[in-house]
Amino acid sequence: MRIIETRGLTKTYGSNGDVGNAVHALRGIDLDIDRGEYVALIGPSGSGKSTLMSILGCLDLPTGGSYTLGGTQVEKLSGSELAAIRNEKIGFVFQQYNLLPKATIVRNVELPMLYAGVPRKERRQRALDLLAKVGIPDKANVLPGALSGGQRQRVAIARALANRPALLLADEPTGALDSKTGQEVLALFRELHVQGNTVLLVTHDPNIAALAGRQIELRDGSIYSQQRRAVAA
Amino acid sequence: MKSTGAFRERLHEAWIELKENPGRSLLQALGVMLGVASVLGGFAISDSQRTQAEKLFSRLGGIDKLNVLPTDTVYDGAPSAMQSANLGLRQDDASGGGAMPTAKGVNATSFLKEARARVRSEAADQERAVSGIGADYVAMNGYEIEQGRDFSAHDFASGAPVAILGSEAARVFFPTGEVVGRPLRLGDTRVTVIGVFSERTFRFRKGQNNIFAWRNRIVAAPALLVSARMQGDQYHRLDRITFRLPDLNAMTDFSKELSSLVTSNHRLQQDFRLDDVHKRMERQRSQGDVYNLIFMLSGVLALIGGGMVNVNIQLASLKERVREVGIRMAIGAPGSEIFKAFMTEALLLTALGSLIGFLVGIAFAWVITLSIGVPLSLNPLSFLWATLMALVFGFLFALYPAVKASRQSPMEALRYE
Repeated sequence: MRIIETRGLTKTYGSNGDVGNAVHALRGIDLDIDRGEYVALIGPSGSGKSTLMSILGCLDLPTGGSYTLGGTQVEKLSGSELAAIRNEKIGFVFQQYNLLPKATIVRNVELPMLYAGVPRKERRQRALDLLAKVGIPDKANVLPGALSGGQRQRVAIARALANRPALLLADEPTGALDSKTGQEVLALFRELHVQGNTVLLVTHDPNIAALAGRQIELRDGSIYSQQRRAVAA
Repeated sequence: MKSTGAFRERLHEAWIELKENPGRSLLQALGVMLGVASVLGGFAISDSQRTQAEKLFSRLGGIDKLNVLPTDTVYDGAPSAMQSANLGLRQDDASGGGAMPTAKGVNATSFLKEARARVRSEAADQERAVSGIGADYVAMNGYEIEQGRDFSAHDFASGAPVAILGSEAARVFFPTGEVVGRPLRLGDTRVTVIGVFSERTFRFRKGQNNIFAWRNRIVAAPALLVSARMQGDQYHRLDRITFRLPDLNAMTDFSKELSSLVTSNHRLQQDFRLDDVHKRMERQRSQGDVYNLIFMLSGVLALIGGGMVNVNIQLASLKERVREVGIRMAIGAPGSEIFKAFMTEALLLTALGSLIGFLVGIAFAWVITLSIGVPLSLNPLSFLWATLMALVFGFLFALYPAVKASRQSPMEALRYE
């Protein structure tokens, strides 16, 4: 079953009447991703992968083309509808973790469920379960500042999984980690993929991309090449 | 948030947010607190003054009264025949009004005839004001008999040679303390003292003079005795007739009817004037309302000042919170939820600030009323006003930062460093 389907996706910045100054970040992307795939989006900086990532993550709308996420036509949605999609269908993992620094770990994980309207008790229980799942069951009541980078990224992954999203979007998830903890986080992603999650990983590192079942390379806003390989299950 | 307990959730979140930022929250609550304290404190002070005034009025025997007073009809030149034929204000003016439809609203009447006379007892000899009184004068003016007895209807009707003294007058003329039954001379008229009024005191503020002191100096005798025996006035003219109407709404109609009755009694001469005591007191009291307005205004100014400080703090903290808002949006908070979260936070702050403001305001009013010597009195309505205004201003000033926060693009907010 198809989760992501884009046709002719374009994104242009700064074209306020002045066509000469416009930056074409995406120049027509056709992309299909099926449920349960593990896809790496790779490309040098300026290739448009961050732009594509934010459009696929419904943080931004494309200038042109169409984008269907889990059967929902996204490009025509309003701000609050996009927020609902982000809440229900997408789990984000960022390079800089993006945890709320003043909220405890368990509250950080609860947050997406709060916006989804999950009752408080259930929210707390699921958050604790998720923390156990990502391997840090004993850190529920500390602040993010007390955790190492690897642990913070695990919290971010737990938060991303909170509403059982259709798509896990990770933007350079190991970019701020040393190679050993980076490997551990990648192992966690692999495990999540094996469990049936759809993972889209954005990276500039070919070695990390090589772990995915499919590599999509972007250059100058277009798909330059795609490679598939069997992922060990 | 879609669940039914969404507001409670938001409140809970707002509370956590405030707890996580104690310094900022305190600063923001301070503005609200000052505003509420200023409104409440000001109101409490003027309420205390007002309560004291009400107490004074009730001790005066109520202010639901209408006075009829004689005036000159002729201000210059010689009086006309009609004018000189007039007899002035008499006891008959009061009794003639039984036919008036509004007269049933009257529940007490009193007469006063004033005179100055040489008052002599065995112990003292002084020039004094003598009050010739009639009907319900004693009760209507808040006097109480301490020793002896009150004037009887017969005393009033016959102008009996009897007198009742105020406490000061009793002390002056009978220093031995033996007063009732003793003789006293009012001018050339010999009277017997039949009673003593109890001492009357009222101090508006602690340490102030007793504003009822003159009432203790009263030498009271039946009006008829004063006018007929002492002054030889065969028409028994009076200096004041007072009606009490507990229903203040009936006062206007009553005074109109009374005016036309007395005018026709007086051969169409306007030789009297009506004095609505309640209206007069209300006019004086309305000066207190000006103070209320000033206090309210200073409270509003404090709230506006506090509100602007809050907007600034919110906008400054918004910079700090842009990323946080971005994170919340990325994981699924719509702009409306961000807006509601900011508003809930502001309103919670307002509520907390108001609570502290209550305490500070009461303390403030307590210190002021203590220093001016008036007992503190609090009106629940002023709490309501203070809270209401704090909420209105809290809401208005929270809008701008909340709108600004909720309109951010999640993309840009996330990238914000």
